[in-house]
Amino acid sequence: MRKAIQKRMEAKKYVWEGAIPLQIHLHESQVTTLPPPPPALILAPRIGYLPLLVPLIKPHFSSTLPPGVDTIWFEYRGLPLKWYIPTGVLFDLLCAEPERPWNITVHFRGYPGNVLIPCDGEDSVKWSFINSLKEAAYIINGNCKNVMNMSQSDQLELWHSVMNGNLEAYLRVSSKLKLATIEDEYTSLCSSKSQQGSGETDFTGQVKTGRVPVRLYVWSISEDFDDWEDLSQVDSWEKISYINRPIEIHKEGKCFTLHDAMKSLLPEFFSDESLSDSKLARVDFEDAQKIPSEDVSSNKVVEDQGQNAYEHREACCISSSAEIKLIRIQGIEPKLEIPFSWLVNNLLNPDHFLHICVCVKVPQ
Amino acid sequence: AESPTSVRKVVVHLRATGDAPILKQAKFKIPGTDKFAKVIDFLRRQLHRDTLFVYVNSAFSPNPDELVIDLYNILTSYFHTSKGISLVVF
Repeated sequence: MRKAIQKRMEAKKYVWEGAIPLQIHLHESQVTTLPPPPPALILAPRIGYLPLLVPLIKPHFSSTLPPGVDTIWFEYRGLPLKWYIPTGVLFDLLCAEPERPWNITVHFRGYPGNVLIPCDGEDSVKWSFINSLKEAAYIINGNCKNVMNMSQSDQLELWHSVMNGNLEAYLRVSSKLKLATIEDEYTSLCSSKSQQGSGETDFTGQVKTGRVPVRLYVWSISEDFDDWEDLSQVDSWEKISYINRPIEIHKEGKCFTLHDAMKSLLPEFFSDESLSDSKLARVDFEDAQKIPSEDVSSNKVVEDQGQNAYEHREACCISSSAEIKLIRIQGIEPKLEIPFSWLVNNLLNPDHFLHICVCVKVPQ
Repeated sequence: AESPTSVRKVVVHLRATGDAPILKQAKFKIPGTDKFAKVIDFLRRQLHRDTLFVYVNSAFSPNPDELVIDLYNILTSYFHTSKGISLVVF
């Protein structure tokens, strides 16, 4: 049984040990010494966050910084990096053609408050992480009591396990939260192949289908391209749609695949297929631009709002030339036929969300 | 009545607790396609505060990039309500 557990953990271990090699350059405006300092070379955990690397980075540059208060932020080719997005996700999203090492720039001054929310180092990141975890718990259970009722020491241990990339410690504490693992016969099939038929018990105990917390980052492009390198890169967060929509796994006899999941998240990119089973509200981003923004001051309550949120919206505006070019999860580009449950059981971030990066091509 | 293709608006209720000041207007509508960051900004301006902790349904504090409509759907998926999102401000 121990071997079965080890096999089950193999993929999770790869994810937790995954790292992005960073080459961090100090922005020229803050270089006060000649010659300028060499870039810092750091292996950043995929599941971590950039501000957590500051204790490693700051000593490297401290002798060359101008005097004053530091407000640290990172940038890739001019785009300020959102510090609450896991490092691996930033890399998967912004580097269509993976760049190794990833060359990013660190600033110690001039925090772009119009683009980035403030960050006070580790405390801000921890707060953001715990709230994401609460939101995941809310999505799964309808409340986040399990996270709110964690003891101080458990919460601290959980956070430290994320900071240190300690999967065992993380599993020990997070198992108390009872955030269910999705189990179905296809997951067992995937793992039993590598177990040579030895009897396998689902040691997590929970067997449940339900809602999976998903964070979807959609980068829309309208140009044709041969190589990823030819694409003009993301220069503004306006070009990225952030969709926070849980996926409900339907167990109707057949395997629920990544394809099924993507269809429920982005039905307009599967326009050749039937949309009638889509129950999620669709926000049409084209519509949003056409309608002028209105005052936030009206007393009229939209009474049928609850019902409207669940109405199926037709994907009438997107033509069939819209297509999904890329799907990346934890740096992996899975085949669409993969059982979605496998992705959930192995590729979640510690905040219990599945972060999915998608590049779509839309007609101009 | 709203036309089917117009942007849905979400009702947001404000409940100030602790020593947070009470807003004159405790209920407002915001387009579903707006990010939660807009709600925070609006509240910061109204309350004249730089730092604000905003919790939804007394549960969690959302990511600023989250769309209001996504948040609404998450919050109402277990409890069908026409009340909209309830915010608690610290």
